[in-house]
Amino acid sequence: MQLLYSWRGAVWILVYLLFILAPLFALLVAPLPPTRGFWTEFSVAIGYSGLAMMGLQFGLTARFRYVTEPWGEDVIYHFHRQISLLAVGLVVVHPVIMFAVQPELLALPRYKEVPWGAVFAFVSVFSLLTLVVMALWRAKLKIPYEIWHLTHIALAIVAVTGGLLHMVGWSFYLVDPWKRSLWIGLTIFWIGLLLYVRIVKPLFMLRRPYRISEVRQERGDTTTLVMQPDGHPGFQFSPGQFAWLTVWGSPFRITGHPFSFSSSAAAKAGCVEMSVRNLGDFTKEIPKVPVGKRVYLDGPYGAFTIGNPADMHVLIAGGVGVTPMMSMIRTLADRGDNRPVILLYGSNDWESITFREELETLKARLNLTVVHVLANPPAGWTGETGFINAKTFKRHLPPPYSDHEYFICGPGVMMDAIEQALGEMGVPMAKYHSERYSFV
Amino acid sequence: MRRLFADRLAFATGVIVILTSILFAYLRVAG
Repeated sequence: MQLLYSWRGAVWILVYLLFILAPLFALLVAPLPPTRGFWTEFSVAIGYSGLAMMGLQFGLTARFRYVTEPWGEDVIYHFHRQISLLAVGLVVVHPVIMFAVQPELLALPRYKEVPWGAVFAFVSVFSLLTLVVMALWRAKLKIPYEIWHLTHIALAIVAVTGGLLHMVGWSFYLVDPWKRSLWIGLTIFWIGLLLYVRIVKPLFMLRRPYRISEVRQERGDTTTLVMQPDGHPGFQFSPGQFAWLTVWGSPFRITGHPFSFSSSAAAKAGCVEMSVRNLGDFTKEIPKVPVGKRVYLDGPYGAFTIGNPADMHVLIAGGVGVTPMMSMIRTLADRGDNRPVILLYGSNDWESITFREELETLKARLNLTVVHVLANPPAGWTGETGFINAKTFKRHLPPPYSDHEYFICGPGVMMDAIEQALGEMGVPMAKYHSERYSFV
Repeated sequence: MRRLFADRLAFATGVIVILTSILFAYLRVAG
């Protein structure tokens, strides 16, 4: 599986680069406009490349399962963020070089005489800068998620369309009808990717709704939603994967949030469960969801899943990060897998340990060891205390550490510390898996 | 580490794009 993902990952990187660079080199096909200086041509090349990178952002966020599987959605969204900064940098440097090489461009003509190609360049760059500022400082600017997301999409469309109109309006390379058609076609393709994820996919989801069949309260202020497919067979997921859940409103609204499945992947009739902790935001509404309510699921997604060869599974969970681990444990129990499973489970206190009783019951069905690590242990507690670290691993795991398969899910700070500890213990990156869901 | 991987991938993409843009300009000027 790992090798297949590596190959697929490499192929997708090549395809990505091809989509950026091939349309640029298509501009070199005859007939060619007159040659200009090196810096002017370099500036034009980074402008075109920047636009292609911006357009492909629609593809990165289109949630194509086949594309995202080799890395996981968290890596894709982080790449999306980083590459957007790079693309904006290229698009901004493009006019800076042009002004430096041809200062006469800075001499502003009268308002009505400004060429429309230049107007669209300004519109595109302004939209891009606004988009980046809003994306980087959304929380500080206190912009509600849904408003921010809609603005993000609108600004991205304006930026990409403005960039294309600037190129067409400047009438240099795109004077040639074939080259113009290629870049117009590419822009339509990029925006088509957005329409796919925002219109076509929700249409499919609308035809495949789920019904809440049970709302179960768990320890640790956590609620489990049990969902049955309504009029369709549902989908198969791998333990550890997640889906975007839309509880309130239609799938066309941008209100979906990613949650891991907590149920067994071996469950029949397409029934799925998600366990959600009340974190004070929209999650506080989850316990109020009525039985029978229609909800929508977009999934499954994620590369955080068992299936690679391993002598034992080491699951490291912090708080509600236990939900994908529960799916793995329940699935391994249902499959009769007899390989050892160790769950290192960090919680605040004894009473708030979600699934505490069920984990004890599951020990009878598979070779499971549960190590509770409590931040606030009760009086007389003799188990682990504080936070999970390298010393905790060494006390509970048999060497060699690099033979085990590790799965980490919890608060970001905890995941950073554990990834560092595993690195120091000589565990290769391919042997541990972590997914962060704070990508919206 | 996963985010570091994404960072490196983005950095490598940037380097490739800039080198290719230099090549594009060179090919244009060299005719």
